[in-house]
Amino acid sequence: MPEVVVSIGPHHPALKEPVNFKVIADGEKIIRLELDLSYNHRGVEKAAEQRDFIRVLPLMERVCGICSHSHSTAFAKGIEEIMQLEIPPRAQYIRTIIAELERMHSHLLWLGVAAHLIGFNTLFMWTWRDREAVQDTLEEMSGNRVHYNMNEIGGVRSDLTPAQVTAALARLPNLEERVNKYVDMVNYEETMLIRFRGVGKLSKEEALRYGTVGPTARASGIDYDVRKDDPYLAYADVPWTVVTDTHGDVYGRTRVRVWELQESVKIVRFCLENIPEGPIRVPAPKNAPKGEILSRYEAPRGELAHFIRTNGTDKVERVDIRTPTLANWTSVAMCLVNQNIADIPVIVAAIDPCLSCTSRITLLDTRTKKEGIMSFDDLIRRYRSRNPERVWP
Amino acid sequence: MTGPLTLDMVAGKMKDFGVTEQVRRNRIRITTTPDTVHDTIRTVQAMFGFDRLITISAVDNSRTLELVYHLTGPHRMVVSIAVELPRDLPAISTVSDILPPAAIYERQIHDLFGIVFPGHPGLARIVLNEDWPDNEYPLRKDWKPNPDTFYGGIKGEKI
Amino acid sequence: MTVPAAGLSQRLVNWARLKSPWITVYNSGACNACDIEIIACLMPRFDIERFGILVKGSPRHADILIVTGHVTLKQASRLRRVWEQMPEPKYVIAMGACGASGGVFHGLYHMMDSVDKVIPIDVYVAGCPPRPDEIINAVVTCLNLLKEDAAHGGKEWRKKAVPGTSMDTKTSRVIP
Repeated sequence: MPEVVVSIGPHHPALKEPVNFKVIADGEKIIRLELDLSYNHRGVEKAAEQRDFIRVLPLMERVCGICSHSHSTAFAKGIEEIMQLEIPPRAQYIRTIIAELERMHSHLLWLGVAAHLIGFNTLFMWTWRDREAVQDTLEEMSGNRVHYNMNEIGGVRSDLTPAQVTAALARLPNLEERVNKYVDMVNYEETMLIRFRGVGKLSKEEALRYGTVGPTARASGIDYDVRKDDPYLAYADVPWTVVTDTHGDVYGRTRVRVWELQESVKIVRFCLENIPEGPIRVPAPKNAPKGEILSRYEAPRGELAHFIRTNGTDKVERVDIRTPTLANWTSVAMCLVNQNIADIPVIVAAIDPCLSCTSRITLLDTRTKKEGIMSFDDLIRRYRSRNPERVWP
Repeated sequence: MTGPLTLDMVAGKMKDFGVTEQVRRNRIRITTTPDTVHDTIRTVQAMFGFDRLITISAVDNSRTLELVYHLTGPHRMVVSIAVELPRDLPAISTVSDILPPAAIYERQIHDLFGIVFPGHPGLARIVLNEDWPDNEYPLRKDWKPNPDTFYGGIKGEKI
Repeated sequence: MTVPAAGLSQRLVNWARLKSPWITVYNSGACNACDIEIIACLMPRFDIERFGILVKGSPRHADILIVTGHVTLKQASRLRRVWEQMPEPKYVIAMGACGASGGVFHGLYHMMDSVDKVIPIDVYVAGCPPRPDEIINAVVTCLNLLKEDAAHGGKEWRKKAVPGTSMDTKTSRVIP
C-alpha cells in the first residue's frame, strides 16, 4: 500500500522537525499511522550511564526544553529515594514552586500555540506576553529563563531570598487576573468553541484503554494525576484539587489546562507564603546503593516515568525515560483513524506534544496514486476553511 | 473482592505466578518467567483492575536482558512484573493485544536492545535512523561504536 | 582587494537586505529550548518584527539560517539540503552550546561530530539557551558581516589560506 509521509503540524511555521510520521491514507481518510522518532534521538539514556550523579543532572534537564525541571526532579528524587535521603522541607517547597511555575509557563505556551493553529494570533501574543512574567520570576530565582538547574542530589542548589519571594508574590495578582480572563475566553469566546469542539474526541473508556496521561486523560473524566496518586515534593501539604472535565475533545483539554493554570497560581502563592525555614540541602553520598525505583512525576504534559536501576557505583546502571507524549501517542494514532487529514494539526497539538514539528507534507493518495507536496500552511488553511457552521455532536 | 484492596492481598494471590515482594509502600514486584508474563498481566488486569500500563523498561545487567512491565489502576497501586531473557535471541510474546500502549514501547525496546516480540503488529524502526546497520543494539552494555561502520549522516563523508 | 563602487541598484539591494533580513529556523535535534527562545523574540516583549526581521518557513526566502540543536545522524543530510536551498548571500547562526561544540550531547552515538562539519557557520551564540536579547545581538552581528561582505563584493575575502597547507579557513565571529 503506498505510504504518505506526513510531517506533523508545527507550533509555528518557523519551527521545523523533528517528529515525522507516516500516514497511510485513502483519499482524505486516514487508515493508519506510524511514528518516527529518530529525528530527535540523542542517546541520552546511554550517556547517563557514563556520567556520575552531578554531571547527569544537566543532561537530564536538557531532554526537553519546556519541561526541563520535570526530568531533573524525577531523576533526583528517584536517586534520593534509593539513597534513603530525607530532603529538608524548605528544599521541597522550593522545588514545588519551580515545578508549578514551569507548569504555568508550559500551559501558557500551549494556549498560545493552539490559538495560533486556529488563526487566533492575538491570543498567541497575549499568552506569550503573560508568560514573560513567569519567566522573569524563574530568572530571578534560578538565574536562567529555561533550564533552571535548581536540583542537586540532596536538595536545591540555591535559596530564595525574601526579596525574591516578595517580587514573585507581587507578580501573581496580575497573572491571576490574566488567567481568569483566559478562563472566561475559553468558556464564552466564539472562535475557540467552534474550532475545538468535537475534534479529537476520546471517550473515557478509550482514554483508559490507550493509556493516556495528563490533561488529555483528565479532559475525558479520568482523575489520574500523579501529584495526588503518589504525592511527592510538597503537594501533600498544599491544598489543591485535581482538574477534570467531561468533554473529551480538544475543547475539554483546553479547559483543563486553563483551569490548571488557576490551580498552579494558587499553589505557588501558598508555597511562597508558607515556605518553612531551614537548610536547603543535605549532603549526599557519592555512590548509590544497589536498588531500583520507578520515579513518577506529573509533568505539564502528563505522567513522566523514570525507571532507575543503580548498582552501587556513582553512576546509574540504567535510566529508562518514558515521556508523557509517548504515552499519549497511542491515543493520537487511534483517534486519527477515519478522520480527515486536515484534522491532524489540531489533534496532535491537543496532546501538547513535547516535540517541535515540521512543516511539509508529502501526500500520496492511494486511490488516484497521485503525489503532491503540501506545505503546512496549506494544511492549516484547509483546516480553517472548513465549514464553521458544522454542528459538532 | 470484599473490602479495600491492599498490597498484601495482591501479593498473596499472585504467589502462583512468581516471587512477589513489596518494594515500596505502594508498589509490589513480581518476578516471573517469560512464558507466564501474558497470563500474569491478564490476571492482574481482571482480578485487581491494574488496567493502565505505565511503561515497559528494559535493562541490560551484563548477564541477561530484563524486562519490567509497570501497571497501575484506579486504586493507585503499582505492580511491576519482571522477567529475564537470554542475551542471544531474546524473544517474548507481545502484550499489545491486551494493552494497546505496549506497542510503541516494544518497538522502542526492539530498536535499542534487540528483543523480538512475536505477534507485534509492526516492529519497524522508531528511534534509530534508517541507515543504522542491523544487529547493532546501542543500549546493550557490550556495544561499542565501530569506527568503520556507517551509522548514518551524510554518505561519503566520515562523521 | 579593491572592488569597484557598487551601482545604485546593488546599493539598494544591500540596503534592503540590511534593513529587513529574513530568517529561517531549523531544528536539527534540539531539546526545543532554543526554539522557544526564538519564538519569544517574536512576542510583544522583544518583538523583532519591528526591526524588519521576519521568520519564514521556507529556506528559499531567507537570508539567515539559524540552526538549533546538535545535529543528529538523521538530520544531517536534511540540514545540508536546507542550507543548499538558500539563495546567496546566506549566513548561518549556530545557536547555543549545542551549535558550538555539542553541549551536553557531545560524542553520543546518534550525533554528528559538530554542526560545522555539515554546513559552514558564520556566527556562534553562546548560552543554553541564549536569551532573546543575545539572539537579536547575533542577528545584528550577522548583518555587520553582511555589510562588510557587500563592501568587499562577496564572501571570498574572508577565506584565508593557511600558509603551508592547502586548507582554507573561514573566520567567524563568536559572541560571548
